[in-house]
Amino acid sequence: MSGQTQSDLKSWGDILNPVEMQRHQQVGLLGIVALFVLPLVIPAIYAIYLSSALFFATFVMSWDFVSGYTGEISFGHGLFFGVGGYTSGMLNLHMGIDPWIAAPIGAVAAGIAGLLIGFPSLRVQGPYFSLITLVTPIILISVFRFFPDLTGGELGLVSVGTVEKFSAIGPIPSPGFDPYSGYYLALFVFLLALVIFVAITRSDAGMVLTAIRADEISVAATGKNPAKFKLFAFVLSGLVGGLAGAMYGHSVGGFNVSELLALIISIEVIVAAILGGIGTITGAAIGGLFFYLLRVFMRNIEFTIPVVNVPVGEIYFLLFGIVTLGFLFYLPEGIVPRLVGEWRARSEPQAGEAVADGGKSRGERIVEEWTDDLRELFGGERR
Amino acid sequence: MVSAITIATNVLMLGALYSLVAIGFTLIFGVGGVLNLSHGAIITVGAYSAYAVDAATGSIVLGAIAAAVISGAFSLALYKGLISKVRHNPVTVLILTLVVAIVVEQLALVVFGGEELLVPQLLGGSISVLGDSIQANRILVFVLSWVLIGGLFYFVDRTRTGKAILATSMSDKGAALAGIDSEQVYTYTWVLAGALAGLAGLFLASFQTANPLMGRNPLLLSFAIVVLGGLGSIRGSVIGAYLISFLDQMTITFLSERLAGVSALVVLVLVLLVRPKGLFGRELVEE
Amino acid sequence: MGTALAGCLGGGNGNGNGGGGGVPDTITIGALGPADSPMGDSILKSAELAVNEINENGGIAGADVEVSTKDTKDQPGTTRSVYQELTTGENVDATVGIFGSEQLLSIMGNIAQQSTVHLTAGAATPEAPALVEEDYETNKYWFRVGPINSVFLGESQVQFAADRFEQMGWEKIAFLAEDYKWTEPITNNIKSQLEEEVGVEVTEVRRVAEGTEDFTPVYDQLEADEVDGAYTALAHTGTTALVQWAQQQRPFGFGGIHVPTQLPSFYEATQGAAISTFSQTTATANSEVTEKTVPYANAYQEEYDSLPVYTGYSAYDAVYMIKEAIEATESVDSDDLVSELEGMSYTGTGGNIEFFGPDGRFPHDVRYGADYSQGVYFQWQADESGEGHQRVLWPDDLQEVDYQSPPWA
Repeated sequence: MSGQTQSDLKSWGDILNPVEMQRHQQVGLLGIVALFVLPLVIPAIYAIYLSSALFFATFVMSWDFVSGYTGEISFGHGLFFGVGGYTSGMLNLHMGIDPWIAAPIGAVAAGIAGLLIGFPSLRVQGPYFSLITLVTPIILISVFRFFPDLTGGELGLVSVGTVEKFSAIGPIPSPGFDPYSGYYLALFVFLLALVIFVAITRSDAGMVLTAIRADEISVAATGKNPAKFKLFAFVLSGLVGGLAGAMYGHSVGGFNVSELLALIISIEVIVAAILGGIGTITGAAIGGLFFYLLRVFMRNIEFTIPVVNVPVGEIYFLLFGIVTLGFLFYLPEGIVPRLVGEWRARSEPQAGEAVADGGKSRGERIVEEWTDDLRELFGGERR
Repeated sequence: MVSAITIATNVLMLGALYSLVAIGFTLIFGVGGVLNLSHGAIITVGAYSAYAVDAATGSIVLGAIAAAVISGAFSLALYKGLISKVRHNPVTVLILTLVVAIVVEQLALVVFGGEELLVPQLLGGSISVLGDSIQANRILVFVLSWVLIGGLFYFVDRTRTGKAILATSMSDKGAALAGIDSEQVYTYTWVLAGALAGLAGLFLASFQTANPLMGRNPLLLSFAIVVLGGLGSIRGSVIGAYLISFLDQMTITFLSERLAGVSALVVLVLVLLVRPKGLFGRELVEE
Repeated sequence: MGTALAGCLGGGNGNGNGGGGGVPDTITIGALGPADSPMGDSILKSAELAVNEINENGGIAGADVEVSTKDTKDQPGTTRSVYQELTTGENVDATVGIFGSEQLLSIMGNIAQQSTVHLTAGAATPEAPALVEEDYETNKYWFRVGPINSVFLGESQVQFAADRFEQMGWEKIAFLAEDYKWTEPITNNIKSQLEEEVGVEVTEVRRVAEGTEDFTPVYDQLEADEVDGAYTALAHTGTTALVQWAQQQRPFGFGGIHVPTQLPSFYEATQGAAISTFSQTTATANSEVTEKTVPYANAYQEEYDSLPVYTGYSAYDAVYMIKEAIEATESVDSDDLVSELEGMSYTGTGGNIEFFGPDGRFPHDVRYGADYSQGVYFQWQADESGEGHQRVLWPDDLQEVDYQSPPWA
């Protein structure tokens, strides 16, 4: 958010919630408004970039909701995108079911996958659980390859139906391929996920989820069943991730392993969430957008690195990996918590005394654990 | 029908090879509680080091030395530069090592290209066993792997440093009480594991080919192996490696080649579901 | 929101080549390919080479030509993204290239939506022309210059077998195909065709799984069956299969369709393991498939210090076909170009290129046959100094050498 928007900021805040709204929340609202208006002023190609970024950010939020809050780190969230997407795609391609109906069914299938993955998390701890999540999508990929007639094998599901009408707004020609209507479809999915996740995590249920991460036994002692909450988180994460996977495929016109299920997708989602700050949802959303756009930006740098004489665009993915490593070290607490933290520090000098509103402080606590770990790395050198 | 001899040699050789990878993986876990997901990338480092040195000097022996030395050094740098600082947070370690693995893959892709590269056999020709011919290279790989495994057993049982590694893997605190410098033990373990994985990479490439993603499958198999054999146990890893390589060969031969590698992963998930700490596993150090 | 969006309605289509006719001052052609692989690299360089030549000779209908090259990373998502950069972002007048079938299929919808002519070089899937057949008006902007699709690849393998197996001494063979979608049209009928039309014994048609790293059990089986040759349809798993065959000195021949061995640098890269392997390909650097083949390969070598790969021939021809079409119609309008290309007969580096019409067997796909594109079969043979050369085995009019068995067989 640049400086010139600061003047508008107060008026928006006044209208919606003059007293209680904090600055970072105001900025967030402004950001959402900007997302609505942006396509009217940017070239079509940027609308295309942004719509993919919005889908990716939705993936990241669905990861953050389960892993950032319950602490059960999933290394294979691509499973949900893949199950949701392929279910919807196969229903559409083989049975002719309209994408608008197939996509929710895909989401339900992914929700069931969430339930199946959630169960082991009740028994299997920490890294062992992560191992299970890591290999599950790989097993699923093999299963898909085993039935190429159903799944399209290595070619993926192509020429699936696109979302033909976006009736909430009016008839738009082939939203899937039209940059602008495709954009609003992505924005719709993104906002839906954002609203659901933010509403739940800022409610009592969110408190319980975070408490589970900190101390599962204490939660059980209060009479709440941690298992139920965990499963709920997995199912909802699957539902939203699956819906996003399905909508993404229908909007670009195809489903394939390398965009939904591949290991790299699951890792990118985690990295983006960490960059944005885990356990905050909004951080995940911003991290997802930032991560995706950074990658596009790097791909398009037309600069040839001297000495080795290689254009940046050609090796962007390598550089991107290195930049990611750098980010993980230098900004381990994530972009959003860092910004929020600095604003806080400026506005209320004795921060940390009382727990402010539930939302951010929970996230910060989680983030602190991470920060402590990672900061050690540069212990003395940090300025 | 593929002959029993062929299946047996494959199981014997691949089991030994997987052992080399899994032992390093499990040692690192045993002494430091670190699940190193870049262990597979070290295989890639080893194979490409050997390729590059062989291409430059024409000697695969020098290539083998390079595979061990460069991989060991890489592993050391990885530990000293990154992992030692975040060791006590298992999840951070998982993410960082995964990203490191991807950077290594990309580096190999950029420097050497995505094509499969040929690494010369250590030994040409073939030998006839009970009417079936087996390549000398495979037999050599099998023998060398076992020499390394045997050496490792000797090292751990007989030498001071080896005993320190074993002691640390049993109990961090106990070892510290006994005056063992745990930091030093970690360092030795990482170098050792790196060198073993690097050599395994060369062995693999010598009868297959080298490509940037070649470390992924052995890493996944290592998961299954160490979960079967018990995290931190060298003997368990060897047993686990043979179980997995047997299972994999059976699946390929009698079910479908499309399922290569999958059976191991299914076993991994099932074992963890039934016995969340692994079949013969022990408590996580950090919990 | 409704009013705001109204401005976009109908704006989505017809990006780029509006104008409806006439030639702009600058014509831009987009080229797509995975820059990391020799196949993609060759596409991008050949498109550049063609455009440079065209500009030196006065451009297209007097207009300057620019080429914009994009790296697809061989990933469907990236391919789609860079395709949109070319069309929506840069308004190119046509695109060429691609390489992978997975990547091509991922942008078929975008090609239709952009209504911008695309000439594929590299992917062999017959699903693309099937889409044109299914919905001609939507998908008619797609064409393929080369290679011939995998149905034809299968037919070509039967023809080669009929013409050469006897002389090669291949009476008993096993067919080895990788378990990918592209080989399905080949393996569906290959056994009966080879047995009935060629009269060879086919011990098995084996589809080897993706990511197969150990071919030893496969070769043991083949050796036990005493086959004369392994007739292949391999791309992704090709190098591993070939290297293990050579290292293990299996007593049977090896070749058919083998994508890696088509690379001019492959013999050296495998330190001679490629010896005696043979493959179908679009053209080799010294085979006079047409009078344009050798000059193109020489120009490429002069410019980039390496020889082009099969995808390069097609990409180079594709650019020239776009030039011809624009000059004939004096327009860059996509619909004009489509009808011009449909009727075009162009002698390129890879053969006499003509497309199937809308009602043809494979609409907008390149025609296969002696009068059109049929490719060549070559074999790696070593000269006295030990250097490997791709020598043409088939067809008759281009044949340089007779087939040689592997040195150890």
